[in-house]
Amino acid sequence: MSKVSDLVQKVIVGDWKDIGRLTQEAIDSGLKAEDIVHQLQGGMEVVGQKYSSGEYFLPDMMKSARCMNLAFEVLKSAMKGIQMESLGKVLIGTVKSDMHDIGKNIVVSFLKGVGFDVIDLGTDVSDTKFCEAVVREKPNIVGLSALLTTTMHEIGIVVKKLEEAGLRSSVKVVAGGAPVTEDFARRMGADAYAADGGQAVVICKRLVQS
Amino acid sequence: MTLTQKQRILDVVAGKMVDKLPFGARIDVWYNYHVAHDSLPAKYKGWSQTDIMADQGAAAQKRFFSVCKETYHDMEVVKRDEPPYEVTEFITPLGTCSIKLIWSVNEGPWLAYEHEKLFKSQKDYPIVKYILEHTVPIFHEGYAKERKEMGDRGIVMTGTGLWGPSQRVMREIMGYELFYNEYMDRPEKVDELMTAMINLERKKLDICIKADIEIINLCANWSDDIHTPVFKEYFTPWFREASEKIHAAGKFSMAHADGEMRRLIPLYADTLLDIAEAITPVPQTKCTMTEFRAMGNHVTLWGGIPSIMFEPSFSNQEFDDYVKALFKIMKPGSRFIVGMADNLPVAADINRVGRVVELIEKYGKLPIT
Repeated sequence: MSKVSDLVQKVIVGDWKDIGRLTQEAIDSGLKAEDIVHQLQGGMEVVGQKYSSGEYFLPDMMKSARCMNLAFEVLKSAMKGIQMESLGKVLIGTVKSDMHDIGKNIVVSFLKGVGFDVIDLGTDVSDTKFCEAVVREKPNIVGLSALLTTTMHEIGIVVKKLEEAGLRSSVKVVAGGAPVTEDFARRMGADAYAADGGQAVVICKRLVQS
Repeated sequence: MTLTQKQRILDVVAGKMVDKLPFGARIDVWYNYHVAHDSLPAKYKGWSQTDIMADQGAAAQKRFFSVCKETYHDMEVVKRDEPPYEVTEFITPLGTCSIKLIWSVNEGPWLAYEHEKLFKSQKDYPIVKYILEHTVPIFHEGYAKERKEMGDRGIVMTGTGLWGPSQRVMREIMGYELFYNEYMDRPEKVDELMTAMINLERKKLDICIKADIEIINLCANWSDDIHTPVFKEYFTPWFREASEKIHAAGKFSMAHADGEMRRLIPLYADTLLDIAEAITPVPQTKCTMTEFRAMGNHVTLWGGIPSIMFEPSFSNQEFDDYVKALFKIMKPGSRFIVGMADNLPVAADINRVGRVVELIEKYGKLPIT
């Protein structure tokens, strides 16, 4: 097994103990840092698939994310001066009056892990704040999360505000959260629905490619 | 003799075949929101939740989170407002920990979220453990009033607290992400904290068992992607211990089991819990009611109508069709209490609660054939 495939395998199984050493060995073997990053991101996509299919749980994803962070610590110096190409920019937040963030945080971890540039606005984010951030950050995608039936209608309010501000055509909107269904997300004006972090990766990749 | 709403629920949990499906409805989110925003339907302005549910013909399922209040000893507890937050500092001989809460007015001014958790890093282990070891629960006098107001019109849903001991550490004290990081790095310290929390919970359980409560809630709010990895280690032993004590006192144990549950279903049977409440099937989760039945024939399923079905986006016809199909799936109807999972949404038409009652009269007489 090559140094880098061993490293990727460790990311997939979430074994972080040798990640630093293996990353350094991959660099020392002459591999380009950006190639190592791409392969690691491929490993995170596998983790996302395992999470979506029900094989993996939150702690599995967290172990893999920890592996990625440790690998990036070592890669940092080798990456100096190299501009990694981002898959796209995602602006994400939990909608107004909703304080829940675990689902959103899982999505953020997966998107970052596979190479998206992610701006996390946190929880309780108003339609106005989403619009201001869209103007400021110019994302490709806006991710809206809601956990409560009391707050899920805020998804539609954000979409409407984006329309009123003339920003809707510049972004794709993806919605998710426990009470949100695909049908509901569409009715609120979202372009897509993501059931979990793994699915969010597939959908965001598809949206930026389209 | 006609059964009262409360007795019908208790008989079903005891495994008896009653006259018709009980309907234990929960409307606190809807109610609190509309009271806070002065937007209750004209007919119901000034009414209590229980009176509204009685008017709709349903049994009331009213939340009263805990019959225990926590008192703190050998430490100084300082509360201060830092709008919009409420900060509580626990000053102990071992150091200080603080929690920062924000109150959600969206569901009425009654629900607090931890903006900053009590446990923030490994230095907090001894302090949090000290706090737990010096917390003494006492009976919450407010429960008696709730119980009296409810009478035989339903059940006051209460117990040791909203969370069981493990869930409280995972969700309230640490937060899931920090919990799993600590679980990876310092499992023995996590274990110590869990033990301290269980010891506190045992004291609360004793209070519950002595109180005038038939159904004791032991935990709430799960999702199988978060909880399954620790369920057998931390949740099951506590549920078994607590359920055995509860059963010995002639009472029933319950957990509020909404969220994605597929991977927890096979583990539920081992818990000895009597009721899985707020059961939320498709389209709000990925599980069907048939799958939930695999929790065990001794388990009473309470729920079955996802909250979103009460939303105006589902037509009256779609709602009726769903409820009628649900009754057929659950035939003959034993060990099943109809309920919304987990609450009537803010945008809902309250009269759909009454519509469920009408459908029970037509299609929910037991046994369903």
